[in-house]
Amino acid sequence: MKHLQESFSKIYDQYIEKIYRFVFLKVNSQDIAQDITSETFLRCWQAYQKNNPNNEIKNVSAFLYKIARNLVIDHYREKGRTDVVSVDFVTLNDQKPGLEEKIAINSELEQMKTAISKLRDDYQNIIIWYYLEEMSVPEIAQMLGKTEQATRVMIHRALKSLKGHFGQV
Amino acid sequence: MVAEKELIAKIKELKQIKPNPDWASLVKSQILAKGDYSIPEKAPSSGKENVLSLFFSKFFFQPRLKPVFAFSLTLFLFLGLFGFAQHTVPGDFLYPLKKITEQGREFFVSRDDLPKVQLEMANKRLEELTQIVKKNEVKKLAPAINEFHANVEKAAKTLANSTSSNPEHIKALVNETQKIKEQKEKVESMGVVLGETKELDSALSQLAEQELKRFEGQILTDDQEELLKQANKYYKEKNYARALEVILQMSYPQQ
Repeated sequence: MKHLQESFSKIYDQYIEKIYRFVFLKVNSQDIAQDITSETFLRCWQAYQKNNPNNEIKNVSAFLYKIARNLVIDHYREKGRTDVVSVDFVTLNDQKPGLEEKIAINSELEQMKTAISKLRDDYQNIIIWYYLEEMSVPEIAQMLGKTEQATRVMIHRALKSLKGHFGQV
Repeated sequence: MVAEKELIAKIKELKQIKPNPDWASLVKSQILAKGDYSIPEKAPSSGKENVLSLFFSKFFFQPRLKPVFAFSLTLFLFLGLFGFAQHTVPGDFLYPLKKITEQGREFFVSRDDLPKVQLEMANKRLEELTQIVKKNEVKKLAPAINEFHANVEKAAKTLANSTSSNPEHIKALVNETQKIKEQKEKVESMGVVLGETKELDSALSQLAEQELKRFEGQILTDDQEELLKQANKYYKEKNYARALEVILQMSYPQQ
């Protein structure tokens, strides 16, 4: 058990920033990003224990991103069910002046965030993975279940789409 | 329009988005402190399984309730066997159980109704015989015929010892006797030789004679006189069941 905790701890340290960033760019809220990120790693830890020592999770990165994507989808699905609240009663999600707040002050970064948020989901993912997290094409292709050629085409189209949105912001 | 290189550079600046280190550290310790998930969870079972497992865990694994469980199970199996035995025929392994059930029924029947019940049993033997013939189960023919004769003998003996003159009882006896006659003819038409039922005839003869004597010396109407003559005629022809039918008409004149 201790061995598992140690090995998972390394995985956690390696991916916590990436997963958090990935989720934050999709939900644009620190609290929600924290909730989804912690849930992502909790589920991964559960699976990690069940699958070890006999069958290790082969691609932890892909596994984590998959969980995170699904949780984000669930979040938006749930959000769609909630009642519309009057603007007067909306409170800020984050009252603390965290790093995300400082980034928000930077208008260009905010523009980029907004532009990415306007992309369709698979383009968002590919932009984040390829340009932001610097994952390789084979890696991304495996996660998407596509060929490398199709993935390259998709990267090109995603960037083109982002360029269009960024120019409009 | 921004250049591609510039755009990519701006994307990379989003790396500044990082989680609060204190929060990240707290979450890590919380997650790793969670229970041992290496023990696989049981798949959710169906409602039926839950009920069964609950039942068995309540009874099977409690030492003091084991005798109760064992008794209940034995009783259940026993009743099940008896239930299944009702569909057996002579020659079947569980047929004796069926006979035990029928004999048990006789205990709850009054002495006056006993001949009728026993004649009903004889009719059942003929029904079983009919099934056997239809299925061409040749090996079961002999035991079935023997069972029929045994039942008829038993009914005849009871009838001979009966002293009831109740018209209702006689009517029931006549009905059952007629059924036996019809069933017997049906089975014999299928090629099975059943032989005569002398004991039953003898018992019916005795009953008919007893009833005819009852009306002798009584003041009767013209219709009753006529019926008595008919009854005597059937009696002499050894058609005892028919004689009894006519005698019943004397007891319950038809309007």
